[in-house]
Amino acid sequence: MTMKVLSGNYAQSYAALLARAQVISAYPITPQTSIVEKIAEFVASGELDAQYVKVESEHSALQVCVSAAALGARTYTATSSQGLLLMHELLHWASGMRAPIVMGVVNRAVAPPWNIGADHADTMSQRDTGWVQFYAESNQEVLDTVLEAYRLAEHRDVRLPVMVTEDAFYLSHTVEPVDVPDPATVDAFLPRREPHAVLAPGRATRLGSFTGPDHYVDFRQDVGAAMERVREVLPRVEQEYLALVGRDLGGPLPTYRTEGADVILVTMGTLTTTARGVVDDLRAEGRKVGLAKLRVFRPFPDDELRGLVRDVARIGVVDRSFTFGRMGPAATEVSAALYTAANRPELTSFLAGIGGRDVTPHEVRRMFETLLSGEAPATHWEDIEEEVKADG
Amino acid sequence: MIEIRFHGRGGQGTVVASELLAQAAFLDGKIPQSFPFFGVERRGAPVTAFTRIDDRPIRLRTSITRPDVVVVLDPGLLRTTPVTEGLAPGGLLLVNTPRRAEELAAPPGVRRASVDATRIALAHGLGTAMLPIVNTAVLGALARATGVVTLEALGRAVEQFVPARPAENHRAARDGYLGVRNADPAAAAPVPATFAVPAPLAHPEGPVASVSSEVIHTAAWRTFTPVIHLDRCTKCNFCWKFCPDAAVELGADGFPRIRLEYCKGCGICAAECPPKTIEMVAEA
Repeated sequence: MTMKVLSGNYAQSYAALLARAQVISAYPITPQTSIVEKIAEFVASGELDAQYVKVESEHSALQVCVSAAALGARTYTATSSQGLLLMHELLHWASGMRAPIVMGVVNRAVAPPWNIGADHADTMSQRDTGWVQFYAESNQEVLDTVLEAYRLAEHRDVRLPVMVTEDAFYLSHTVEPVDVPDPATVDAFLPRREPHAVLAPGRATRLGSFTGPDHYVDFRQDVGAAMERVREVLPRVEQEYLALVGRDLGGPLPTYRTEGADVILVTMGTLTTTARGVVDDLRAEGRKVGLAKLRVFRPFPDDELRGLVRDVARIGVVDRSFTFGRMGPAATEVSAALYTAANRPELTSFLAGIGGRDVTPHEVRRMFETLLSGEAPATHWEDIEEEVKADG
Repeated sequence: MIEIRFHGRGGQGTVVASELLAQAAFLDGKIPQSFPFFGVERRGAPVTAFTRIDDRPIRLRTSITRPDVVVVLDPGLLRTTPVTEGLAPGGLLLVNTPRRAEELAAPPGVRRASVDATRIALAHGLGTAMLPIVNTAVLGALARATGVVTLEALGRAVEQFVPARPAENHRAARDGYLGVRNADPAAAAPVPATFAVPAPLAHPEGPVASVSSEVIHTAAWRTFTPVIHLDRCTKCNFCWKFCPDAAVELGADGFPRIRLEYCKGCGICAAECPPKTIEMVAEA
């Protein structure tokens, strides 16, 4: 293993290199572009033996990956924001055709107004497309998760596409130390893809063609069942990653200092790092607070969440995007998961960090204090309500 | 933990400077974190970048609002950007400028240092007079003024990670190290200019479409000013036609005039002018 100071974007590129992706297709968009630029360098220098297909749009980029995956290739692409939205139709094709594509997504705000800052609206609005979704907290986690994602995506019981997301700028353009595992170690963890049910010359097979009401439902139900099986397969993949590479990524909902907690804050992505420091400060003051990182959003970790809140009075969920006419999308999912919980804590949906706003330790502390006050509202726009107070 | 904020312009190597500093700190055995903030990705646009350096893993993922050190790669930004915002007493302001450090405006108790990184960069053939690439010279000065990284580690980082002309950049870093000038702590500092932050715009249909972009003065990007020598001007209007920002207007007499509040100093007018009557003059 080698320690390198890498951006989150380069962590994606190195992971694609180590995974020996065979077909790469992508279209540039800020803040993703440096991922596929670096991969293009790897291909040009011969370090990565892959076909690099240049296309005229994100829609075509994903189509190339879907087709290549159907022929048995290991594929990689990356995008962000508007580019992901343009892919929307093909996202459904990828899961429906059971293409085990791994895609890096840099979470960026959706226009209008135009904005390139960190925001989860792009991937949240793709949550129903049949893709497994991971949200990363650090550049190390980006690299490790992409490698795990291939094992998961290509697993016989799963065969679904996976997106590994990272916050714009807070990871995509942040450089920090990353341990890059040796190629031989990664090869042991992630051998070449074994193609399943793929198209091949000389063999009559159809993928994605017309299917009437008699059978269509079977295909949809299969995708749903495969998504459910991710819950069983992921821990096994993570066990092997731990054994071979030496890092434990902690499953779909890793926790931090939740023992005996009265209130728990659920965070996603980079906000989690800042919140860890705040939890330490509050614990040092004797406040019973804890943190849970929503690392996997699809499939949603219902059981882990219900277990977590068994003795918790109040839970806060921080969303970096908003579902119009509802609350934050993660908060919506958390409340759905808690409906059948034996203990149902009160819930506050915090909206913070929208469009690349900084979420400072001060703001995270205020969220905890709101929860501890016992009078937390159902929905709280962290940035805006504080601004109004400051002006008034 | 030490927190460093860089202010520069797109094309000057500001983001690369913050990353090189992180690489050098890592070679020194520290844990670095660095990232940029940019609104518009264009040559000349103001850019901010941040570097944190610590002995243990960094648990903050926010921009730096209370820096220990502020580094200004382009002195023109001192007129347009509140670069010293959040800089506390005991902090350091380091500016690329030919001026003496005593002349730099700073809040009370802030240490000041200057380095003529533009001269050093040009002496080593880095960038052009219009857009010198000053980052490595500035980093050399930063290493000396703060001790936050060793010159040895900085040199190794430059050799390993600078995409072009590593040898010249290495020498520029060394010259910046040798050329940094600290202000006499006893010398009184002029107070920095205050910058009014525009209030949010109230509009019944939302904050987006309520104002023309005419109120946004984009001159903060400019490092060179076009000066038209009207005695040789033929009124051909090429400058007016080619200006990408519509910053040239024609008077009733047919002569062009530059609207300096919008001119970004790109030099396209000077390049297109058939009789070459437009001169690009470096701003102080």
